[in-house]
Amino acid sequence: MEQANPLRPDGESKGGVLAHLERLETQVSRSRKQSEELQSVQAQEGALGTKIHKLRRLRDELRAAVRHRRASVKACIANVEPNQTVEINEQEALEEKLGNVKAILQAYHFTGLSGKLTSRGVCVCINTAFEGNLLDSYFVDLVIQKPLRIHHHSVPVFIPLEEIAAKYLQTNIQHFLFSLCEYLNAYSGRKYQADRLQSDFAALLTGPLQRNPLCNLLSFTYKLDPGGQSFPFCARLLYKDLTATLPTDVTVTCQGVEALSTSWEEQRASHETLFCTKPLHQVFASFARKGEKLDMSLVS
Amino acid sequence: MDETVAEFIKRTILKIPMNELTTILKAWDFLSENQLQTVNFRQRKESVVQHLIHLCEEKRASLSDAALLDIIYMQFHQHQKVWDVFQMNKGPGEDVDLFDMKQFKNSFKKILQRALKNVTVSFRETEENAVWIRIAWGTQYTKPNQYKPTYVVYYSQTPYAFMSSSMLRRNTPLLGQALTVASKHHQIVKMDLRSRYLDSLKAIVFKQYNQTFETHNSTTPLQERSLGLDINMDSRIIHENIVEKERVQRITQETFGDYPQPQLEFAQYKLETKFKSGLNGSILAEREEPLRCLIKFSSPHLLEALKSLAPAALFCRIQKLLCYSGSHIQGTQDLSSWQKDLYLLFVPLYPRC
Repeated sequence: MEQANPLRPDGESKGGVLAHLERLETQVSRSRKQSEELQSVQAQEGALGTKIHKLRRLRDELRAAVRHRRASVKACIANVEPNQTVEINEQEALEEKLGNVKAILQAYHFTGLSGKLTSRGVCVCINTAFEGNLLDSYFVDLVIQKPLRIHHHSVPVFIPLEEIAAKYLQTNIQHFLFSLCEYLNAYSGRKYQADRLQSDFAALLTGPLQRNPLCNLLSFTYKLDPGGQSFPFCARLLYKDLTATLPTDVTVTCQGVEALSTSWEEQRASHETLFCTKPLHQVFASFARKGEKLDMSLVS
Repeated sequence: MDETVAEFIKRTILKIPMNELTTILKAWDFLSENQLQTVNFRQRKESVVQHLIHLCEEKRASLSDAALLDIIYMQFHQHQKVWDVFQMNKGPGEDVDLFDMKQFKNSFKKILQRALKNVTVSFRETEENAVWIRIAWGTQYTKPNQYKPTYVVYYSQTPYAFMSSSMLRRNTPLLGQALTVASKHHQIVKMDLRSRYLDSLKAIVFKQYNQTFETHNSTTPLQERSLGLDINMDSRIIHENIVEKERVQRITQETFGDYPQPQLEFAQYKLETKFKSGLNGSILAEREEPLRCLIKFSSPHLLEALKSLAPAALFCRIQKLLCYSGSHIQGTQDLSSWQKDLYLLFVPLYPRC
């Protein structure tokens, strides 16, 4: 706004010049501002323009990538079926191998001595057998430390495990295991013979079978012809060797007869030899067979 | 039938609870099936007993039959007695044990009868290769007292025998001697092991307490078995505590295993401790004599109780106490290796000055 001026006549011309100058000043500043604004707008335009270019480029790149992917996926699908079947075959083959290995590990039981690694050592399994019959299994869990020690086991208390361990465990573990196997197999064999005698040939026994836990002393009375006239025999079998399944000492006597006739004496002696050389149940099987032969001869 | 025998049988039958009566009578196998069928077991007990005594009289029961009934009763009620464990040794280089049951029984009876004229000895064999022996003691002038017998359970071809603790302690040496000579051993020693539960004693002494073994046939992997220990899974337990708890679980499992523990009622340790002197020198370290103390753990089921201590993480502190004082501990007897493991893991607290 024009300022009020007290000097009217000069003021008019001064006011006029000053006002004119002011007007010119404001014009200049206005135009400067405008040009500045214009410049900034132009700069912004330029920036936005470059941004647009960048984004467009990016979009084109992504589009190209998507197209490329699609093409390769399509190519893959064509090959996918054969790949899957290859994988399935591999899996089956591995499972079969695993099954085989597991079966082999389980079959090791038939060797008589097998083992499985445990977190602290090894658990040895001793499978006993006699004459091709698989009998009981016994375990010994060993802790592998210095000194080697037995953690726990299922060996019966009357087997001299501690003695064997004292002798061999620290120095020669193979010997320890084989020795233990010997004892356990022999015990199982003796037990098997005694069990078979009691179960299969009870008819030939005239009294109960006397036995002890280790089955190393057996005492029984038997008759060759049950119900017949003959005198019963008394047998006493001693197995002093705990690693053997055949007795070391056999005594056969004839009950209630002072002096035996020669035929009985021969029979008695032959029985003694039989018990010493053949397993108990086989001897009784041969007795039973002879008995059948005798019966047959009587009938015919 | 003798008056005393009749009275003895009557008192034995009266002890038997009604629900076990037929089982025990069948095991006794003295009265026949026919005779037993004539008895009405639904009557009042006194009437049943009267009838049974009458039948026994008919069959002329002897003292040995009565003693056998008593053994069977004891076999069914093993927990009524406290059993001690005795271990026998053979001399060095002795022959293989050819155990003959007949010979053993004869020899055992002869030794006792030679020493004490008045003694009743009865035997009953069981299926687990054990023979139960009942001995009723008398003196030179008095008849055997049938109401205070001693029972011995001997596992043939093993060095172990279990004896019921009896009041008549003076007969124990003779009994030990008879057992040793009859079973062809050299000497007999009483082990520091006592319990009401014969099965648990057997499990400990025969080392049969853990019968689970790893084989390739087993389908359950051991790691997945649950421990059966109840741990309060508090959501506020942070990682470090979980690690510690898992370690405790692992050690407990390794020590105790998964099987049911033998039932022990108490464990007693005699310690002789000499203390090392610390920086200031303590009163205890200056002693010449070691400090002797007796620590006794007792519980209705000691091992299960110790097993459940583990989550409370008490035993770690106990172990720490032990290591800290650095003392020398000397047991007074050779512990079996199993007992030693237990001992090393659960050494009792002892007083610190």
